[in-house]
Amino acid sequence: MKMYLPPPGSKPSRRGVLKKGLLGGALLALGGGAFLFTRKSVEVEPPADGLKVLTAREFAVLTSLSYRLLPRREGFPTVELVQVARGCDRILTLVDPTALTETKQLLVLLENALPNFLFGRRAATFTTMSTDDQDAVLSEWQHSRITVRRSGFTALRSLVMAAYFSSDTTWPGLGYPGPQPGIYDPNAPVWKGNGAERPLGNGTFLPPPAPAAVDGGTP
Amino acid sequence: MSGRIFTGDELTRDLTVECDVCVIGSGAGGAWTAHELVKQGKTVVMLEEGGYHTRREFDMTEPRAFQNLYQELGNRAADDQSITILQGRSVGGGTTVNWCSSFRTPERILKVWRERHGIDTLSAATLTPHWEAVEQRLRIATWPQEMMNANNKVLWEGLGALGYERGLIRRNVNNCLNLGYCGLGCPVDAKQSMLVTVIPDAVEQGLTVYANTSARVLDWDGRRVTAVRAEVIDDATRKPTGVKVVVKPKLTVVSGGAINSPGLLMRSQLLSEGRVGEKTWFHPVLMMMGLFEHEVNAFHGAPQSVYSHHFIERGPGKMGYFLEVPPVQPMLASTVLTGTGPETLELMAKLKHLNVMLAIHVDGLLPDEEGGTVRLRDGAHSRYAIKYGFTPAHWEAFRSSCKEMAKLQFAAGAKQVRSLHLSPVTLDSAAEVDKLDDAKWEAMQVRVATAHQMGGCRMGKDPATSVVDPHLKYHSLDNLFVVDGSVFPTSLGVNPQETIFGIARWAATHIGQAV
Ligand SMILES: Cc1cc2nc3c(=O)[nH]c(=O)nc-3n(C[C@H](O)[C@H](O)[C@H](O)COP(=O)(O)OP(=O)(O)OC[C@H]3O[C@@H](n4cnc5c(N)ncnc54)[C@H](O)[C@@H]3O)c2cc1C
Ligand code: SF4
Repeated sequence: MKMYLPPPGSKPSRRGVLKKGLLGGALLALGGGAFLFTRKSVEVEPPADGLKVLTAREFAVLTSLSYRLLPRREGFPTVELVQVARGCDRILTLVDPTALTETKQLLVLLENALPNFLFGRRAATFTTMSTDDQDAVLSEWQHSRITVRRSGFTALRSLVMAAYFSSDTTWPGLGYPGPQPGIYDPNAPVWKGNGAERPLGNGTFLPPPAPAAVDGGTP
Repeated sequence: MSGRIFTGDELTRDLTVECDVCVIGSGAGGAWTAHELVKQGKTVVMLEEGGYHTRREFDMTEPRAFQNLYQELGNRAADDQSITILQGRSVGGGTTVNWCSSFRTPERILKVWRERHGIDTLSAATLTPHWEAVEQRLRIATWPQEMMNANNKVLWEGLGALGYERGLIRRNVNNCLNLGYCGLGCPVDAKQSMLVTVIPDAVEQGLTVYANTSARVLDWDGRRVTAVRAEVIDDATRKPTGVKVVVKPKLTVVSGGAINSPGLLMRSQLLSEGRVGEKTWFHPVLMMMGLFEHEVNAFHGAPQSVYSHHFIERGPGKMGYFLEVPPVQPMLASTVLTGTGPETLELMAKLKHLNVMLAIHVDGLLPDEEGGTVRLRDGAHSRYAIKYGFTPAHWEAFRSSCKEMAKLQFAAGAKQVRSLHLSPVTLDSAAEVDKLDDAKWEAMQVRVATAHQMGGCRMGKDPATSVVDPHLKYHSLDNLFVVDGSVFPTSLGVNPQETIFGIARWAATHIGQAV
């Protein structure tokens, strides 16, 4: 199938735009977004230093999600301690604007009563459900026959995992010793040329390698 | 004459620069091209959209590295998330974060390029002097077997036990401390990435680098590119600062890598009738996880030192693959693993005992393959619409490779092996590998990743079926070249950096003559 770029300035069709992104596909598959966020969500205290890109409601959905994806386990810090949902908010400040929009839509979809009702016959929002029902919803997404639900599950799961495991407070639980100490030099010189002498280091070509040390080639 | 590296914080006012050559992108292709051109006495300006991050910041932690050194913070993916795309974005490009494995281009691939795509310019004979020079400068040498980490040892021993072909990998390192953090930026500059070798060498000879500067559009008129329009990106927020940089070169080299180079051409309405962005190859990677009684500590030690090409050619109609292992550090591992809740934490708690194996599939060689298609995405700045066409041959190869990896892991002593399906298959012995036949082999049912993006601006003799000619010149323009992995008409069957280095160094000779 050939796909050509529309000429510059031409407005792509709404359906075309919707189909492009992950969420475009999800919205189509789930019958549109008209009923989104019409039901009540649980209210969650926002982080003390505020939210950067998420709304309080989206933050609440991510908070519930992180509880289910990262249940309490001995040796691991709690999601509250790591501030996982806050971490997601901070990660999302750095992503492409289209990725932020899609993540927000995805959170709305997860929370939205209608799709849950259609697919799993549940009328409550994700944040107000029992934890068993939340697990069931996530399992539905994870194992769904509809690709966009599995994609949505994977995207949100990756975000939550990245926010949690980016914290070194998880390392003891993993038995991960972290980087070897005494190696990293926060004061290493930064060379930008402009006539300054380049400091000698492993990257400079001195001394030249012994011939025996070099044996290139693909066998 | 010394050149200079400018960073975004120094670029506070709009700027217009004239030069002989503008090189867009500072990775494997861009760095070698720029280096050779300054050696020829050309004035060269290099634009790099990522920042100038050096060992002063390489603290071996994942959040910092993914934010500073990867496209889309490491979250780049196909639209349906079916492929996770790891790609570099900083001075040095992919070479700043890659895992150092260095291979020359296989002869059989150059033959396919010659016979099917009319590329009569590239042969082992033409490339050998360039490979030799690259290997010298980057100190490419076999990693000693006694330095092999336990994660690689699993592959090595598994291959030995099953009698499969195996080899030791050559790495571009100097005084490597065997730390294992190549993917997060080498903290001691041991990795001979472009960041610490060829780029500073070129700056010493006059290269000017603008980091945090993203080329947005090429202006062109008739058969010539007249200007490169770029914008400065704030390193911390990743958003444009509003400062514009315009470069007016005699000749332009696009080296943004696969996905990004096609993106720049498409933004510039250089579409080659839709071929730009088509046939993007990913070397799709499938992974299997082995659980061992002993500690594997796959987070430490040189990440890749063993390979096997045992399954590289599997007969007509079949997709080949090669085997290696990745470093396994917590954040990346947690995002790649499948499963929810207690299951994830249970696995993560065993991180020290996990071996992960990679099967890297050689796409682009079978007749029916479309590969990936990259298109512009409305409203996006650094993100593209990316689709990948899996064929039945992909799924056959994926199933085969996952079974073979499981056999190897058990042969090396694994207690349990697990697939990375959304509903993972768990195996307790090699006798159970056929359980993998019952797994779901479809997009978004099993994790697929790529660290090797190729194609999208494929070279070829026929302007009706390719984007650049066998000298890497854009067919319908006289002063535009593309030099990076995006020009490959197929994937390679080996890790790509040395092929890109060699081709760039070769191309710089005739690019210099075209200025
Ligand atoms: C985690 C990881 C591990 C890898 N391990 C290995 C390995 O062990 N061995 C191996 O051979 N290969 C490895 N690779 C792959 C290898 O690094 C790449 O194939 C290679 O770097 C690609 O070279 P390139 O010149 O095509 O592009 P890149 O090296 O990706 O460089 C392109 C650069 O251009 C910049 N850019 C893009 N668009 C623009 C624009 N519009 N304006 C300005 N700048 C722009 C990008 O930010 C980037 O820095 C690995 C890659 C990754 C991500
Ligand atoms: S393994 Fe060697 S090259 Fe890689 S980060 Fe460690 S010291 Fe650097």
